[in-house]
Amino acid sequence: MSYFFQLVVSGIVVGSIYALSALGFVLIYKSSRVLNIAHGQIIAAGAFITYALTVWVGIPIYLSFAMSMVATFFLAMSVERIFLRRLIGEPIISVIMVTIGLMSILDGLIYLTPFGTENFSFPPYLPTTPITIGGVSISWTQLVGVIITFSMIAGFSWFFKKSTIGISMRAVSDDQMASMAIGISVPRVFGLAWAMAGLSAAAAGGIIGNITGLNFDTLHAFGIVVFPVVILGGLDSIQGAVVAGIIMGLIQQFASGYLDGNWGLNGTGEVMPYIILLIILLFKPHGLFGIHEIERV
Amino acid sequence: MSSNRWLATGNYFTSYKEEQRIFATSLDRSVMCAFLFVLFAWPLFFDVGNKYMLVVDNILVAVIAVIGLNLVTGFAGLISIGHAAFVGIGAYTVASFCRVLGDSHVLITHAWPLMIVVSGCMGALFGAVVGLPALRLKHLYLAIATLSFQMIFQWTINFMNFFDQGQTISVGRVFWVTGTVARNDHYLFWYYVILIVIVVLGFGVRNLLRTRYGRCLVAVRDNDRAADAMGMHPGFIKVYAFGLAGFCAGVAGALHAYLYRGVGIDSFTLHQSINYLAMAIVGGLGTLQGAFWGPLAIRVLDLQVERLSEWAGSHLTAATNLTTALRPLSFGLVIVLFLMFEPRGIANWWRIVRSYVKLWPFRY
Repeated sequence: MSYFFQLVVSGIVVGSIYALSALGFVLIYKSSRVLNIAHGQIIAAGAFITYALTVWVGIPIYLSFAMSMVATFFLAMSVERIFLRRLIGEPIISVIMVTIGLMSILDGLIYLTPFGTENFSFPPYLPTTPITIGGVSISWTQLVGVIITFSMIAGFSWFFKKSTIGISMRAVSDDQMASMAIGISVPRVFGLAWAMAGLSAAAAGGIIGNITGLNFDTLHAFGIVVFPVVILGGLDSIQGAVVAGIIMGLIQQFASGYLDGNWGLNGTGEVMPYIILLIILLFKPHGLFGIHEIERV
Repeated sequence: MSSNRWLATGNYFTSYKEEQRIFATSLDRSVMCAFLFVLFAWPLFFDVGNKYMLVVDNILVAVIAVIGLNLVTGFAGLISIGHAAFVGIGAYTVASFCRVLGDSHVLITHAWPLMIVVSGCMGALFGAVVGLPALRLKHLYLAIATLSFQMIFQWTINFMNFFDQGQTISVGRVFWVTGTVARNDHYLFWYYVILIVIVVLGFGVRNLLRTRYGRCLVAVRDNDRAADAMGMHPGFIKVYAFGLAGFCAGVAGALHAYLYRGVGIDSFTLHQSINYLAMAIVGGLGTLQGAFWGPLAIRVLDLQVERLSEWAGSHLTAATNLTTALRPLSFGLVIVLFLMFEPRGIANWWRIVRSYVKLWPFRY
């Protein structure tokens, strides 16, 4: 039974990180209908900036965590400004392809740094002995990661519910024409959405880097696993992203906990999200919380 | 046949049938024939090393795959981020025959044309299955469905003992009328095979695109509701487009397997899928010529980048992984720059040059 609870705990840890990564993805999709395939690369960039600032420059980790969030805030904003703003109104395939191109460019840039091929890990700054309650253990980095994740998600939901900018972003995602008519600058909202996505991506990257160590493959894989998560939650729902992230984390942990090693299966945790994704697409394409567009083809 | 000498100066068609011709003038037809003749004849006059022949063969296999991708992404307007997986389905069809029967079974070595067709059909089958969500969904979701197929494919190959966990599965040497194709002639032999497949497929697709079964793809891409109103079933047409693309990809995969005499997972990863998409875009989506220009341009770029990073690596000491860095960087830049400045691809340059030459010296 404690094995089960252990899986639940690690599922929630992984799932909350998925939720945070998916959050940025959904933010971009919700406001500007762009499927950002380069999200994993932004997550990785955030993690690497945090590491570089902490270890190479020697800034305290909490400060460098915040600074990397600021850096990716501007990185994502400039990506939107340089590449995507020219493509407003272009066919959707060009927009997706541009994000694929961006993915390649960011890949190349990251491979130019030592981070592309080598593994790094953060110096320990929290107690290394895990907390154990009734046979279920959770490490300090995981605990802090989950706490940061949930507080960030809470912050984002407050931002969208209460602040003026957040409300204007929701307005744009509802109806661009109408929000222009009441004086919201739509391009600025697009830029802000990207910037916020970059910010949350850096947070996710920093947390993943602390828990699993810095490996480019692992980090940018998060950008791809985000797809099943957002599909399960519904592409344009923030609460969906959070719930689906945690569900996906649990499913993944249970799959690798109970299926691996039996019936000659291996690495099921990696593939399970995609199988679920295909099933959802066939039976409930708009996910748990997505808006049902009456547009069947 | 086509006798209209003034066609270069404008549209003088008097019937739809005339407009639907593949070759508008007899000059076009003879140029095409001459071009094909050159393609078939040049290896006889130049002594090409195996190394360069492999590059050429590689480009041609990519051409076949990109013809398929162009059908689904360019003509039907459905983004497929899993095309390498469909190519992989073709290759692994051959590989699984090799695993079951042994790599030099008569079915592999003698009946290879049959194997190529079977692989194509397997590709079509998988394409249609992956396209099934198209019955309910629109493009964005479909792109994600193809992506997840890519990931499932990679996982299946990587973790199944039957496929040797992604290690190279060898494929035997094939047999031709005069005997087993020797090592020296291997690439030359496959050059001709692939070229013939391309000619057949190219004309097949070109002809398909002027029948109702091809034009329905374009109709659904341009406006699915109008297509629906005209009596087509957009969902089924999308599934069908995926099936067509899967067929081309499967054929390309089988040829890839025979060409390299082995199948490994490295050639069918997500990275390769993105490569194919880059080829389709650089060549020009929605044009058949684009499927020829794109692979050529991307492969040449690839080789140049490799050469550049080798050169740079000999001058810099720490630049060990420059190739891995420069390759995605150059791909990404090429994709983004083409999309921003020439979304219609190289095929559009070809069109511009062509009309310039045609109208010279009497330009507008």
